[in-house]
Amino acid sequence: MRRLLDSIYAAMGWLAMLGLAATFVVIALGVMARQMHWDIPGLDGYAGYSIAVALFLALPATFQRNEHIRVTLLLEKASERWKSALQVWSLLAASALSLYLAWFSARMVWVSYTTHDIAPTMDATPMWLPQLAMAVGAGGLALACLDATLCHFTGRPFFKNASVGEATRVE
Amino acid sequence: MDALIALLFIVLLLVVLGSGLWIGLSLLGMAVLAMQFFTDRPVGDAMVLTIWGSTSSWTLTALPLFLWMGEILFRSKLAEGMFRGLAPWLNRLPGRLLHVNVIGCTIFAAVSGSSAATCATIGKITLPELDKRGYPKGISVGTLSGAATLGLLIPPSIILIVYGVAANVSIAKLFMAGVIPGVLLGLLFMGYIVVWSLRHPEQIPAADAALSFAQKLYEGRHLLPVVLLIAFVLGSIYSGVATATEAAALGVAGSLALSALEGSLNRRIFVEGLSSAARVYCMIGLILAGASFLTLSMGFIGLPRQLAEFIGGLGLEPFALMVMLLVFFIVLGCFLDGISMVVLTVAVLLPTVQTAGFDLIWFGIFIVLVVEMAQITPPVGFNLFVIQGLTKRDISWVAKVSMPLFFLLFAFVLFIYLVPGTATWLPMVMQ
Repeated sequence: MRRLLDSIYAAMGWLAMLGLAATFVVIALGVMARQMHWDIPGLDGYAGYSIAVALFLALPATFQRNEHIRVTLLLEKASERWKSALQVWSLLAASALSLYLAWFSARMVWVSYTTHDIAPTMDATPMWLPQLAMAVGAGGLALACLDATLCHFTGRPFFKNASVGEATRVE
Repeated sequence: MDALIALLFIVLLLVVLGSGLWIGLSLLGMAVLAMQFFTDRPVGDAMVLTIWGSTSSWTLTALPLFLWMGEILFRSKLAEGMFRGLAPWLNRLPGRLLHVNVIGCTIFAAVSGSSAATCATIGKITLPELDKRGYPKGISVGTLSGAATLGLLIPPSIILIVYGVAANVSIAKLFMAGVIPGVLLGLLFMGYIVVWSLRHPEQIPAADAALSFAQKLYEGRHLLPVVLLIAFVLGSIYSGVATATEAAALGVAGSLALSALEGSLNRRIFVEGLSSAARVYCMIGLILAGASFLTLSMGFIGLPRQLAEFIGGLGLEPFALMVMLLVFFIVLGCFLDGISMVVLTVAVLLPTVQTAGFDLIWFGIFIVLVVEMAQITPPVGFNLFVIQGLTKRDISWVAKVSMPLFFLLFAFVLFIYLVPGTATWLPMVMQ
């Protein structure tokens, strides 16, 4: 189970990297196209979708590596009991919020799909397609948050880089 | 009554942020709460549409690409070469190689958009070198942490992009506005090193063997890649080949080409850089996503108006308003990093600032300077963390040796208030 979850986060991370690389390719192509007077419609739209893919699909991997920014001032100063309490609160709140985000993202994808919503820009992409990245990414983050919460309660390590609240638990 | 709710909201936000909940999610959660309680609109749908709109916008593409460019350069030999090129030229200047900190940061700032990246990259090269040559630790660490904040001000600057997007101001103009203050600030820091060195001559180690002019020129060849890259990126923006947004892609192409040419690019390095950039962008993007919805939600409940009315109702003169904003940002800087600070406050403060008659380009530079100050103020100062990681010295010591630079920045903020043309002149002329 641990390995399955880890590889899901990692796979999404790889797709996010692909998204970032695609952003570069699309924009570079746009600059070239203008110089060469090629006409490639909708590039701007694709660049936007690519960064959305990069952002959302990287969420779980970034979370697991403990690279999302948080204020650690209290976490560092607090006693062990408070530290653990703060960590539990953070994990539960993060799980709830990311589930909320995932649910409504999925709903947005569904609405776009059923109403045949297409991009207003030149590319006329069916919107549900790029929006799927947001739903999947938010879902992945929710999964990772729940995973982390469970790990915290069972005393297993979740974060790859020791977090403040977690530091004492990781061997 | 409304002001009370606004105050309550801010306090609650600070509590949630302080509790350790990830910043992006804190913003999101507060936005959801605010909308749930104060409006009867469908919260969830508004949330995803706002977030989708802001995170898939074309303007934002520059941010991840500049981050990637920084990661590529960080893994190349470019920065190291830059120092070898600079060292021989500084023998005659009081403080000698200490200036490498400032000059290095100023130049690196012109290719990287972030203060922490500048601090980490330059510091990794200068601190061991300065240490080895016997320069006192306090001054070399202090000037590094101060000068690295120039990464925020000198274009291309990620925080200016974020400000430009948030305030709807031309990013190209903001970049131009950052040039003169950035260079002046660099000179101010160098002036500080000169004065310090003249007062403590015994602490500055002896000069290297003097090189002939030809030898100096030959050593200077190491500077060439950096100069070319800067010329390439900035030139593409100002010649109109690429927009400020697209210049980031050219920066990535340029730095990939440079590191391939010098032979430091291989598959592992490429993947590491890409992966690191994707995660850094994700970290910033989550905060941006949360903040975009918070901005919408605040618009619905009218908090910006409350705050604007509160500050506006104080009837402050521009100067008093500026001082108040300065204090406000430095306090915020105790909790937040630079980018989330800008994203969070700009939308809220813009009307007030406009009413007070501040130029929005000027205000962008002002905010960046204040964020620079916040970068080196404890408890949350990104440069302090980076340097703590580099030197393994306690953060209070790092903060202490950075203090003089903090006051220099403060003096400089007063200066650009008195002479706003420092920031606004160049974009006006270039128009």
